[in-house]
Amino acid sequence: MAWGYVDAMHDSKGQMEKPNPQEIIFEHLGDAYGWEVPFMHSKRIPLPVIVRAQDGSWHMFLSSRLEGGANYQGFELAHGGDYNNKVVQVLPDGSQYRPVDLSITKNAAGIIIAALLVIAMVFKVRNWYKKNGMKAPRRFTAALELVVDFVYTDTIRPIMGKEAPKYGPYLLTAFFFILTMNLLGLIVIFPGGANLTGNLAVTAVLALATFLVTNLTGTKHYWKEMFWPEVPTALKCPVPLMQVIEIFGIFTKPIALMIRLFANMMGGHMVVIVFMLLIFIFGSMFGVAVGGGMTVLSVALSLFMLLLDTLVSFIQAYVFTILSTMFISMAHVHAHAESAPEAAK
Amino acid sequence: MELFKPEFGLVFWMFVAFLCLYCILAKWAWPFIIKSMEERADLIDKGVAYAQEAKAQLDNAKAEADHLVAEARQQQADILRDASKMRNQIIEDARGEAAVEAKKVTDAALVSIEQAKKESEKQIRREVSEIALQIAEKVLRKSVASDQAQRELVDKYLNEVETQN
Repeated sequence: MAWGYVDAMHDSKGQMEKPNPQEIIFEHLGDAYGWEVPFMHSKRIPLPVIVRAQDGSWHMFLSSRLEGGANYQGFELAHGGDYNNKVVQVLPDGSQYRPVDLSITKNAAGIIIAALLVIAMVFKVRNWYKKNGMKAPRRFTAALELVVDFVYTDTIRPIMGKEAPKYGPYLLTAFFFILTMNLLGLIVIFPGGANLTGNLAVTAVLALATFLVTNLTGTKHYWKEMFWPEVPTALKCPVPLMQVIEIFGIFTKPIALMIRLFANMMGGHMVVIVFMLLIFIFGSMFGVAVGGGMTVLSVALSLFMLLLDTLVSFIQAYVFTILSTMFISMAHVHAHAESAPEAAK
Repeated sequence: MELFKPEFGLVFWMFVAFLCLYCILAKWAWPFIIKSMEERADLIDKGVAYAQEAKAQLDNAKAEADHLVAEARQQQADILRDASKMRNQIIEDARGEAAVEAKKVTDAALVSIEQAKKESEKQIRREVSEIALQIAEKVLRKSVASDQAQRELVDKYLNEVETQN
């Protein structure tokens, strides 16, 4: 990620400019319409922009059309304001209109790449079984199988029990998708480098999926526990205290999932960038020599953080999966052998 | 801040991608992988159980073989002991029988010797008496008239001789 910035520094003829850390950090963590070509900060791989103009017509063109502030079919990249760095339509009266934007941005492209990678990996394992039956796989396939086994046999099955084969596919898909996106985000150059799981939109969709699976497949008993839990009547009758807490819980669980993944991944990326930026901040404050000396420390710290992030990538994917598993299995409670009679009335 | 405002386009693509991914994997990949993995786990469990059973059987067989060998040894020892006893018995018997036989032969020999002795004594006596008679006849022809008197005389003398001996 810092490569681009190093290049940008070179572009300015070796002159140390005062860096603007916030701008750089958010540029790297944020989305973009093009994808940086490896080691060339100024060049972008063009990606399709798909927007719906105010009059309802759809426009599709490559992001390279908008480079350098150009206007194409009435669209251009906004600078500053509410829509900073987003495609806006410039209306005849000069005002900016934010169109419905379904562009394949850098992040969207990253998501698609991650999905394709997951498909490739999972089908590699599947094809091994198709072809070789009961033989033990080798190399990468074996590593994948180990992870599948770890997630399914050691985590999902003990929690879900008999229902594991029904919800296993969703949980495994979520796990591998998150893991792949996490790891892709750590790779600095092209197929990686997009901050996918450090983006609230991505984690929100994942959390929403768990939310939907949990509540759409919940048993009658789950809903009964929600609206008429087995607690002293005073806690639920005149003032629906427990009900409020329970219903609140339905929403806090997926929101916690969303925030946890987002914050962990974004935080990791941000720390790595900040360590790299230290070189330039120190350089501009105390001169090139200090900045150069800072390089050793910065690179060591960044490397450490990246290794830590690799671990965190796995842990967060696992945590998301295990919590989803628990939420889903909790929604599948059945009355405890009907032993608790219709309660304290 | 852009990061905290989910962008609609990204939500849309994420949703589409995740849904497609789930549908594809849930239909063609995961159930098959899970089933295969469980089958293989079962197969390995069965293999281990089978191996353990085979080992137990092998151990059993070994113990049984040891038992058989021990039994055979015991039998062998018994047979040897019996044989040795029988041999001794036979030798003993043979010895006894031989002794009896030998005694018989000796006895018979003794009897026949005795008989022969008696016979020869008789004969000698007869011949001696004959000779004596002839001698006496010649000597006494004149003095002893009758045969009867002569014979009695000779007998008397012979008895004297015998008692002297």
